[in-house]
Amino acid sequence: MNTIRKRELQGYFYTSVGYVFIGVFLIISSILFYVGILKPRSGELPNFIYTMSYLWMLLCPILTMRLLAEEKQKKTDQLLLTSPVSLPGIVMGKYLAAVTVLLITAGMTLLFVLVVAIYGRVYPAELAVNYLGFILQGCALVALDLFLSGCAGTPVTAAVLAYGANLMLWILDEMYSLIQADWISEILKFLSLYRRNENMIRMGQLSIAAILYDFSFIAAFLALAVFRLDRKRYTR
Amino acid sequence: MIELEHVTKMYGSIPGIRDVSLHVPQGQTVGLLGRNGAGKTTALNLMTGYFPPTEGKVRIGGKDMMANPRECKRMIGYLPERPPLYDEMTVEEYLSFVSELREVTRKANKEHVNEIIELCTLKDVRKRVISHLSKGYRQRVGIAQALCGSPDVLILDEPTVGLDPRQTVEMRELIRKLGKDHTVVFSSHILSEVQQLCSRVIILNAGQLVQSIDLTEKPTDTLKLRVRAAGRKEALLGALQGLPCVLRAETAASPEAGTAEFLLTCRTADEQGRATDQIFRLLAGLNAPIRMMTEEKDTLEEIFLRNT
Repeated sequence: MNTIRKRELQGYFYTSVGYVFIGVFLIISSILFYVGILKPRSGELPNFIYTMSYLWMLLCPILTMRLLAEEKQKKTDQLLLTSPVSLPGIVMGKYLAAVTVLLITAGMTLLFVLVVAIYGRVYPAELAVNYLGFILQGCALVALDLFLSGCAGTPVTAAVLAYGANLMLWILDEMYSLIQADWISEILKFLSLYRRNENMIRMGQLSIAAILYDFSFIAAFLALAVFRLDRKRYTR
Repeated sequence: MIELEHVTKMYGSIPGIRDVSLHVPQGQTVGLLGRNGAGKTTALNLMTGYFPPTEGKVRIGGKDMMANPRECKRMIGYLPERPPLYDEMTVEEYLSFVSELREVTRKANKEHVNEIIELCTLKDVRKRVISHLSKGYRQRVGIAQALCGSPDVLILDEPTVGLDPRQTVEMRELIRKLGKDHTVVFSSHILSEVQQLCSRVIILNAGQLVQSIDLTEKPTDTLKLRVRAAGRKEALLGALQGLPCVLRAETAASPEAGTAEFLLTCRTADEQGRATDQIFRLLAGLNAPIRMMTEEKDTLEEIFLRNT
């Protein structure tokens, strides 16, 4: 597992994917920082972090698209599947590599926090919760998109599927007020990833339920990815 | 070492291979022959555990692949049809990654990779990025990759396809060298290659095992000769039939005017010397110069064409 994580992480920075991901994220978040914090001279970090968390939705597919789909396309999965490594090991290794890049990115955004800390006030406890939600939101999307990369045949279809799924999750949030049937909207509300993390990211309210939900979300999609890889061996 | 027991693999409703049983003992080099689509790659993929069989059992070193995948896979190095290379890595990095994947300890890793680089003569390219390598080198890195983790069994899918003649010869040399201390199974289209390298040939056709031929078969005590000599057919035939070592003699059509051709089945040697020598002396005595004398063998090509 660790071997695979190391190689994938190396891969991110041997190709341009890692740099592009981090670069684009930082450029856009810098603009958001300027518009949200610098220009109005505000210290409203939670709101800024909440806006940033939407960038995961746009950028996670870039991070995950190659992970499983490219192995299949280039037939390098023949190496992994005929080596003494378990399927969960493969999936976990890849997931952790993507999460590492995500954490590096999140770490770099602390620079913005530093600026606010110098010129204003930062509430560390609240900030920690904000960041926890922010990172968990990203990690959850990576798990979902990784699973979709396992479903797709090429990296491009993987990316399209992942964008679709990420946007779909978001749109569902807007939908449930329109749905007449209460029980459906209740289910949607229960399942909504973005809503659950919103309180943590924007309000700084530590929510065990949200954290549990995020972890189950991640575990569920990683398990699905393993299951999917295994199924594929039988139906190949 | 490798056992397939009534193995069937279905691709949807299309059978890849059907009810194939075979056993490759330790240390043997076995060639897998068959036309395109005969199921060679499927058979190899099943042996390596890339996918499980629809029916039947695959055993490596006596262990069931489905029950102990890790232990079985540890024993196998696999070069697929298309070498599974990560283009963005250098040769050295890649081999070190595969070694780690195959559970070579971090301490031993460097030396292990060096040995493999030496063996596969990859020294000149060890720091090159794989995407910049030529086909021949890629194939060699593919073999090197299969050697990582010192597996006992090597499974090579058409290892010489697409190489130039020199590289092909070098690759064969390498396989021969590896065959000394590995159990090797490889598939090929090239019959002479199989004949040179293998102690056994397995021919697949339409997903079924049609023949398994032992190429190390000991010479039998009879041999078949085709002899062409100048002279009259009837007289020579009678004389040849009179030789004690000749068991059976029949005439064959000769392409050369004024000569006669015979197919002889004889004992290789008896108390009067070798059959070939006796025939030579007889015909010389009859003043019938020999224009040609060859041993007739069932060539692999004939067997192949008959069976596929």
